[in-house]
Amino acid sequence: MFAVLHIADFALHAVLRNEPESAGRAAALFDGTRKKSLVLATNPAARAAGVCLGMTAPQAVARCASLLIRTPQPEAEAEASRVLLALSFTLSPSVEETEPGICTIALQGLDSAQHVPRAREAVNQLNFLGLPATAGIARTPLLALYAARAAKTVLRIAAEDSFLAPLPLSTAAPSRELADIFANWGLRTLGDFARLPRDEIIRRFGAEGLTFWKRATGGSERPLKLVAPPQTFSAEFEFEDAVETLEPLLFLLHRFLDRLTLELRAAQFVAVEIELTLQLEDDTKHARRFQLPEPTGDVEILFRTLHSHLESVQTATAIVAVQLHLVPARPLVRQQGLFETGLRDPHGFAETLARVSAIVGADRVGTPILEDSHRPDAVKLVSPVAVIPPPAETDVHPPLGLPLRRFRPPLPVKLEFTGRQPTYLWAEPFNSAIEAINGSWSSNGDWWQPDRAWARTEWDIALASGGLYRLIQVNEAFFIEGEYD
Amino acid sequence: MPAASEKLHALRDLLARRFPDAALSAQSRRIATGLPSIDNATGGVPAGAITEIVCTAPSSGGTLLLASVLAASRQQHLRVALIDGADSFDPQSFAQDALAHLVWVRCHTLHETMQVADLMARDANFGLVLIDVRGLSERELRREPSTSWYRLQRAAEQSGLPLLIATPFALVPSAILRFSLTHSHPIAALEAERPALTAQLAPTVQRQRLQVAAAS
Repeated sequence: MFAVLHIADFALHAVLRNEPESAGRAAALFDGTRKKSLVLATNPAARAAGVCLGMTAPQAVARCASLLIRTPQPEAEAEASRVLLALSFTLSPSVEETEPGICTIALQGLDSAQHVPRAREAVNQLNFLGLPATAGIARTPLLALYAARAAKTVLRIAAEDSFLAPLPLSTAAPSRELADIFANWGLRTLGDFARLPRDEIIRRFGAEGLTFWKRATGGSERPLKLVAPPQTFSAEFEFEDAVETLEPLLFLLHRFLDRLTLELRAAQFVAVEIELTLQLEDDTKHARRFQLPEPTGDVEILFRTLHSHLESVQTATAIVAVQLHLVPARPLVRQQGLFETGLRDPHGFAETLARVSAIVGADRVGTPILEDSHRPDAVKLVSPVAVIPPPAETDVHPPLGLPLRRFRPPLPVKLEFTGRQPTYLWAEPFNSAIEAINGSWSSNGDWWQPDRAWARTEWDIALASGGLYRLIQVNEAFFIEGEYD
Repeated sequence: MPAASEKLHALRDLLARRFPDAALSAQSRRIATGLPSIDNATGGVPAGAITEIVCTAPSSGGTLLLASVLAASRQQHLRVALIDGADSFDPQSFAQDALAHLVWVRCHTLHETMQVADLMARDANFGLVLIDVRGLSERELRREPSTSWYRLQRAAEQSGLPLLIATPFALVPSAILRFSLTHSHPIAALEAERPALTAQLAPTVQRQRLQVAAAS
């Protein structure tokens, strides 16, 4: 058995699916290459308003003043073709891209009871993705195509003769010459034609007659020209008019993700990373790579990741093109250890971090990592790990003293000395006599790098008004680096 | 005519008597702080509620208390968020392993701090959220409307997260537990081992709404 997924007026719907505002409006596709542009395809609303194929633009607009006029977009058609292919792969791995908007699928291996439900699911999904489709299921690819064209949603052909009999002769696409002859003979339907003796048709019309006879009777099984599932998961689009707001960009990205996740699922992959590139009007690019906390194929999770980032992005100029690439990976199968700390909702966690980054800046959120240096405050922030390792054994030498609360930047202070000993301190938030002092300790480092070299002397002091502080001297100036607390 | 606070107290008592389970269910789970004085007195900080640590004196051990909570949460396999209002946390005061479970957010203003807290208090991936607003100006802190703190309390209730807020003065009206640290450490504390200092730290309980409600 074969199935055909068919999208009527494919080129028009491929364009309209990227325009949310076009929903429910009359639209027609015009040939933009000729001097006199003619209607190539119409949607049902335009047909209802009286717009017909072959009309010129003024004629069409005279029939329907609110008609949306669109020209073919090869990029949009390529994207729609990939959507159709991706959904075809949900039925079977044996898929042929027969024509733009038509995919033929060999259903061997799929339980016959599943044919109609699975095809209906694919059709519903295509409708959801902005591509109104129908499906036909029959013994041969050609018959399945006829069924798809005749179907409202899904049509399975059981009785071939009774299905073919009322169809017009044009269904089997006769040549103009044959069509004229058959019309003169009074033949109107495939049923009329099939009643003629096959040998007589061959004797009168030769090979052309035989070919048409086969087409009129539903054709025969043939090997499909199989298409390989995609190995890269990318999408790109160039806007006709530069985009200045978020909504159209998000709409398009959702469309991309809908298709890419279908392709990932068909290849039994999930996404581990997202790469987003926005091409700007001033020939610059905004590129961002999103490492996902856990590989996923969920559209909404991937979309939220992009949405959270884009909400905080401001570009200098409008966006003229967008590229999206998903890095595939096999789904995780590892079980977490009993004493490891994982995440309840890894994607919710990533979203929270993205939102926090948007508030304070990406360089101010993360897990602190101590650098291998004695330089003061030598710490960097890294992305929090998904799984926290179990705690290490307790150190036999516990840390000494109170932790420091740093003043960033250090507070400049003035000191009063008695002999060589500081005895009084003035800083902006407090003035006090120095009650006790420990130190001094001198340290320096990075002396081989002139721009990073540092040297300082430090003391621990107790103020008479209360409080323990770290006093430092850098060059000739004194600062309070922090409070021991 | 009774004062507003008395009316509020009476209303709380009434609600606690009518719906005893509602008051206890979320907050009955406690997170140990590693401080014997707190864990023995209250069982730890309650989940789904705000606990306030008021550090009125300099070097009174507020950061030592946070360090103890960090260490205890590491042992309990919890992921911890530290929302650092004045960017004053010093990772170099800790061993690297003690920070493996920490997500540190370095804020500069109270506005940033409250925005981040509102997000993180709703994320159940964390086991504990620490907020340190010491170091921010008193004027800025006092200007924050009390509704912000109640909003934070609602967020904690919904996610079931314990929120521990370090403040320079009693600030958080929605705190269910409030401890106070009032004594500065002497300079000899800088030579002492940290576990010993932690064991000596004895914050006083200023407010314990849950027990009042439960007892009623």
